[in-house]
Amino acid sequence: MSTASQSWVLTRRAVREALRTPEALLPTLFIPLFFLIVNTGQAAKIFPTGNTPFLRGQGYAAFQLPSSLLLAASFGSAALFLVEDIEGGYFDKLRATPASRTALVLGRLGAEAMKCAAITLCLILVALPLGIHIASGPIGLLLLVLMTAGWAVVYVGFMQCIALKTRSAAATNSGGLVFFPLLFLTPSFVPRNLLAPAMEKAATVNPVTYIMEALRSLILHDLQTAPILRGFAVIAVSAVLMIALNVRLIRSYD
Amino acid sequence: MSTQTLSDGVGTVPAMTYAVEAENLVKHFSKGKDAIEAVRGVDLHVAQGEVFGFLGPNGAGKSTTVKMLTTLMSITSGTARVAGVDVAAHPDQARRKIGVALQEAGLDGRQTGRELLVLQARLFDMSPATAADRAKELLELVDLVESADRRIKSYSGGMKRRLDLASALVHQPEVLFLDEPTTGLDPASRLTVWEEVRRINEQGTTVFLTTQYLEEADALCNRLAIIDGGRIVLEGTPQQLKADLRERKGLPDDPTLDEVFLDATGRTRERIAGEVQEVMA
Repeated sequence: MSTASQSWVLTRRAVREALRTPEALLPTLFIPLFFLIVNTGQAAKIFPTGNTPFLRGQGYAAFQLPSSLLLAASFGSAALFLVEDIEGGYFDKLRATPASRTALVLGRLGAEAMKCAAITLCLILVALPLGIHIASGPIGLLLLVLMTAGWAVVYVGFMQCIALKTRSAAATNSGGLVFFPLLFLTPSFVPRNLLAPAMEKAATVNPVTYIMEALRSLILHDLQTAPILRGFAVIAVSAVLMIALNVRLIRSYD
Repeated sequence: MSTQTLSDGVGTVPAMTYAVEAENLVKHFSKGKDAIEAVRGVDLHVAQGEVFGFLGPNGAGKSTTVKMLTTLMSITSGTARVAGVDVAAHPDQARRKIGVALQEAGLDGRQTGRELLVLQARLFDMSPATAADRAKELLELVDLVESADRRIKSYSGGMKRRLDLASALVHQPEVLFLDEPTTGLDPASRLTVWEEVRRINEQGTTVFLTTQYLEEADALCNRLAIIDGGRIVLEGTPQQLKADLRERKGLPDDPTLDEVFLDATGRTRERIAGEVQEVMA
């Protein structure tokens, strides 16, 4: 069986696992939605649609949506399921099969991408009544979903590295704190050129900024090649790095 | 299978076919600046078709040895061949020939028994239809048909252990490694596992069994080795080992296997309490 088929078999198992654990799934939907509503409620009057050029005629919720999507993609619950597999011995059972080590990694990451794609669609649907529309059209919507799912793969890949290295749920959870600088040292509330100089520098070196700007361009603009390519490039490079690190950690796992 | 050959002066003749062979197997773990020597030069020769018992107190190196033999742990030095395959050089090839049921039943509680077996079979390259058939066959074998579509987390300890055993047999391995398969089971479940082990062995599978239960080793194993402090301290058939001790100590009757164990590991009954237990199943 090819690595792709093995990955698919393992992806299906991880999807079942996620569906059978709704208690882990629901916060992924509700917490980003909560932040979207609260942040929009707090700042919408500061940035009225008519007088705020960077909103391009939409409400502030449209500007905030990428932050919520990235938050939804940054829960990394799949890494905690991996720790459970490790602690319960099932990970050893999988390692004892001739399945490719890459498939062992891609199985979970594939499920995370699917799960995040579904959550992204749900969030967008729920956000529509807040006056959001995807200016780049159906293709833009597809790219929006793919990009958010791509970030979920990168982030869970990172969390899985911690899980494989430490084999501890507590350490894996703590590793997730890296999410705060990654998500908040970005132009999450205003465009980059309106940030204070130090913050602007931090946002410029933060790769998540380019994903956020790409998502935002898909919501607020027609299809714009440059930011979209930058966003996908960041995801592609980070995903390759994370997958390679995961595979290496599994191969040297003792 | 690996075959050791002997020279008869004219040519070479096959002497013994081994299912498991280890030469000077060593495992060191580094902890800070210190290195822990978990296994210190283990030699093993397990013949095809044997039930081989691997005994030792807690921390003696049993599980580490099994993990090295089953490709789950790297080997610091030495060589290991299972079913004729060098486990370090060709781990994937080795994995196709061995079945593993480790100390804790390694199962995913969120799957059903059937889903787990089908997944396992698919990872051993079976088509979806063949995997489903094999899962059905194994569920019948371990008497879990009625619970097949229930989530594993609702299974009892004995059911989990039987399912774990079934998952290790999915690809009809040549060598089956069972690491303390009855630890924590009630006597009835323990007997069921013993029956399974005997039946699997009768079908030609070599069984490499680690256990802390000396009665279990006595009941199941054709031959056994005792490991202590990372080294093999005694090896032979249970009868041989008992007879040797009787002769050496001038005892009127054959000693029990636990007396052999205590003698081999230099432990006293007081010291051994909590490490090795005798069970009456």
